[in-house]
Amino acid sequence: MIGERLIVAVGAGASRIAQEVGGILILTGQVLRALVPPRIDRRELVKNLYKMGNRSVPIVALTAFFAGALMILQAGPFVKKFGATSLAGYASGYAVLREIGPILIALMFSGRVGANNTAELATMTVTEQLDGLRALAIDPVAFLVVPRVIAMMVMLVVLTALGDLVALLGAAVVARTMLEVDFSTMYYSIVDNLRPFDFLLGVYKSVAFGAAIAMSSCYFGVAVRGGAVGVGKAVNAAVVASAVSIMLLDFLLTYLVGG
Amino acid sequence: MIARIGGGVLGAGRAARELWIVYVSTLAGVLRRGGARGELVRQLHAIGNKSLLFIVVTLGFIGMVMAYEACNQLGRITGDYSQVGGQFIRLIVSDFGPTLTAMMLATRVGAGIAAEIGSMKVTEQIDALRMSGVLPIDYLIVPRFLASMIMTLVLSVIGGLVMFGAGGLTAEHSFGVNPNVFYDFGQVRPRHLILMCIKGLAYGAAIPVVAGFCGLRARGSSEGVGWATTAAVIGGSFAVIVLDFVISAAALFLTGGDL
Repeated sequence: MIGERLIVAVGAGASRIAQEVGGILILTGQVLRALVPPRIDRRELVKNLYKMGNRSVPIVALTAFFAGALMILQAGPFVKKFGATSLAGYASGYAVLREIGPILIALMFSGRVGANNTAELATMTVTEQLDGLRALAIDPVAFLVVPRVIAMMVMLVVLTALGDLVALLGAAVVARTMLEVDFSTMYYSIVDNLRPFDFLLGVYKSVAFGAAIAMSSCYFGVAVRGGAVGVGKAVNAAVVASAVSIMLLDFLLTYLVGG
Repeated sequence: MIARIGGGVLGAGRAARELWIVYVSTLAGVLRRGGARGELVRQLHAIGNKSLLFIVVTLGFIGMVMAYEACNQLGRITGDYSQVGGQFIRLIVSDFGPTLTAMMLATRVGAGIAAEIGSMKVTEQIDALRMSGVLPIDYLIVPRFLASMIMTLVLSVIGGLVMFGAGGLTAEHSFGVNPNVFYDFGQVRPRHLILMCIKGLAYGAAIPVVAGFCGLRARGSSEGVGWATTAAVIGGSFAVIVLDFVISAAALFLTGGDL
């Protein structure tokens, strides 16, 4: 009996995941199709760039500051034990620029912007505003989804670059106050040991993370069913899908290009 | 401008007070042994068992990435991989295991709780509970609070082990590190385990309180639920990062840097 139920559960889960992945891929195809020839509603794009980018700066900056600080705290015992103050900036900078910075900023972006976007699109879907657009012969994908996808991809890259800087600053401040490492020691430790590629890898990752967050948040927003309960479930599903794809893409990108 | 800043500060102050009230009432509810008996078991299943696959997948991938990055960097400097595994599990136990697990749970569990309670709020089920003489916090948040504390700790242990296992496989496959050398628990000291328990319990307590608070504040209909879910994800993730910083800094301070 238990075996039978297990098989049913696994099968149902697998077919649901396949359905969601398929839906996301179809929506991606529709977005790409709407980009040839490019007809983007400029007002919608600018509005979304502002809403998703500018208004996320405080939360991204705070997250990045703490991320940098945390990496210094983890390196702290080594620095104290071996007196290796010249390596503190290198170790924390390497971790922040390549992994922790892009991942934490993407997770926060997924919570702040991705979830918000799903909630907004889902509310429009359940109140039949998308059908209204269709009745006016306006393609909802071209009008609503495409500007959001572009805005999210552009803004996550910008926010990651900004966040990296804030994170290094956070690391320097905490190193100064808790471990008594000078700012100049931190600066040269970072500049001398890290390559531009370490920073660029994080930025490349943010492009992929932005695309994944955008596509999953738009898909779950458009595919929602049922009123307020459905909207909550859609947001939940969107953030979970974004988190899984961020981790998966991070692994693939590190493995493939992160030499 | 001044009015806007002032309004923001006042709003934040009011929100902080409400969050504090939810937290205190939850603790009071725990002491009163509020909440239905079967509900705790149901929430343990919903929060723990149903998150298991999600945690295993995400932490497995991030463990692979981290081991890859660490070996990659060490290969560039010394080429001596004998210490990687020991230090990796030390970092997992004292920080990455519980923190990353909690970041993931903040998205999955936090969003789920906020969506559920938010939907109940806007469909006036919370008012109905209150009218029948049931305290909503005792009935809804207390079981989730207890279940989340237990399950965050359990999933942190599982997630940490998965991270370590996946990291060891990557190190062997990509860098030829002998698993017998990598899987070395010798660096883990009792204080790391204590730190892990403190962090797991603190994160587990924070996530449902923040999410429940956001759900109870939901207003309007589907839009309000979407907003509450978004706020829960950001609030929960941010609470985890800040708690991590505070606890890590306190631990570093209390042990005099010998962590």
